[in-house]
Amino acid sequence: MELSSAEEKLLRGEGGEAKRFAMEIVSAVGDAVGADSLVPIKSAHVLAHYSSLHDAGVDVLERFAESEGKFAVPTSVDPASIDLQQWRSFGIPEEYARQQFRLCDAYAKLGGMRCWTCVQYQVCNFPKAGEAVAWAESSAVVFANSVLGARSNKITAGMDVACAILGLTPRFGMLEDEKRVASIAFKLQAGALDDLDYRSVGFYIGRKAGSRVPALLGLPSGITSDVIKHLGAAAAAAGPVTMVHLPGVTPGTKTLADATNGGAVETMDITRSELEQVQSDLNQTEEFPDLVAFGVPHLSVNELGLLSKMLEGRKLKQGVRMYAYTSAQAFDMAERTGILEGIEAAGARVSHSTDAEISPLRKLGFNVVMTNSAKLAEIVSSEGEIRIRYASQKQIIEEVSS
Amino acid sequence: MTPMKGKALISGRARGKAVVSAKAFTFAHGVDPSTGTVTDVRSDVKGFNLKDKVLFYPFGKGSTTASSWFLETVRLGNHPAAIVTEGVDLSAVIGSVMSKLVYGKDIPVVSGIPRSSYSTVKSGEEVIVDADEVTLQT
Repeated sequence: MELSSAEEKLLRGEGGEAKRFAMEIVSAVGDAVGADSLVPIKSAHVLAHYSSLHDAGVDVLERFAESEGKFAVPTSVDPASIDLQQWRSFGIPEEYARQQFRLCDAYAKLGGMRCWTCVQYQVCNFPKAGEAVAWAESSAVVFANSVLGARSNKITAGMDVACAILGLTPRFGMLEDEKRVASIAFKLQAGALDDLDYRSVGFYIGRKAGSRVPALLGLPSGITSDVIKHLGAAAAAAGPVTMVHLPGVTPGTKTLADATNGGAVETMDITRSELEQVQSDLNQTEEFPDLVAFGVPHLSVNELGLLSKMLEGRKLKQGVRMYAYTSAQAFDMAERTGILEGIEAAGARVSHSTDAEISPLRKLGFNVVMTNSAKLAEIVSSEGEIRIRYASQKQIIEEVSS
Repeated sequence: MTPMKGKALISGRARGKAVVSAKAFTFAHGVDPSTGTVTDVRSDVKGFNLKDKVLFYPFGKGSTTASSWFLETVRLGNHPAAIVTEGVDLSAVIGSVMSKLVYGKDIPVVSGIPRSSYSTVKSGEEVIVDADEVTLQT
């Protein structure tokens, strides 16, 4: 990879230790993936949650903060591993919280926006079509490429902070026009779909596309960005997908031919049978759950409103908790509009600035988690300790409340 | 056997027993850093230990936290000796770069070796990774 003379100087340490370390990371990764140069980014999104960064991640983030690093571009942050305000009432151990707060302090010192959400594109980070960004959070990367038309690779932990400190990222992958061309198409042939079906569609695509960029045909025209958010998250959880062309939604993609650059591609139908196959694969048990989790990725205030409405006049049964995960901003709005009160009246809780898959669920004593999130189902079962029940929001509410 | 030829993303030399997966792989939530053992119920190498092994998989999946799970595995000394993939798994590349810079550990990463080629290698067999080449020891 070719570095400009200004970038060479940063690599020699002339811009300070934080930029030197960042440039060392970014140039090594750029060389490895065959990038030709570094390009400016409009924003970054980084990870700072203890459950996945572990002590190694604390080492790295504190190293940047202690060497006086500052983010060069607007930078948002993924959820923390604990509810930053209500953590004690959720039973989080002190020692665990302390490591998370070390990450919070280092992140704050670097100058990031303290949004603590995986849906930064619904809260505080809004790139336009065509702009390059360096985002971590696989679900947000799919949203950026597929819905906003911005350009991001799946920037993983360590590299994310380095890109944010430099305001630069290597030009490769999703930043190149030719790498964004679809080479496989999926066609929805499954009739009317509910919340669970859309996530199963995403999961199926993620599993079958492999490293090809997929296009998805047959989505109804009124589909909401919240539905696409969950579909994309499921796709990214199941495979290496970083973008799904959605004709009529993705900027520059009106038709399949736009997505494939006119090329003919293999097309796979998604019928009821493919969705049932995903559902039976993700569903591991028929046990009554001890936790219901909604909001992986974070629910919008509209989704919280829908949940509140569905819970109206109902009470949770004995032995089950229901947590809805969201951003602090959506929590605040839900509080002001009575939505929060509605959810709490049923015995459920709203947790903000954290999320289920990065919470210490096992430490909190949960064994069976019921969810409509394919992403949560995939991640939690990967750790091999908690059993997952995968069902629609309607089915879950009918089963766990009366 | 003739060496399988790929592209060294992180060039180096390593030798170890193979752990061979035909499915999308992730360290995030899928490997226990404190032991190096694969925990992912959807992985075909669940239960295998990765410490000092040469890990084969076609491509990555899931969370962008994979590189930090990888790095924690390195911090605790339970990491694989090398990684061989079909597509470019950015989290393996970034994990390896961070391993070198933060903990001084070299973990070669080779991509461009398709499942159809590496499926001739069985888990437990000894392989050598040397820059672009991966060779089964017979």
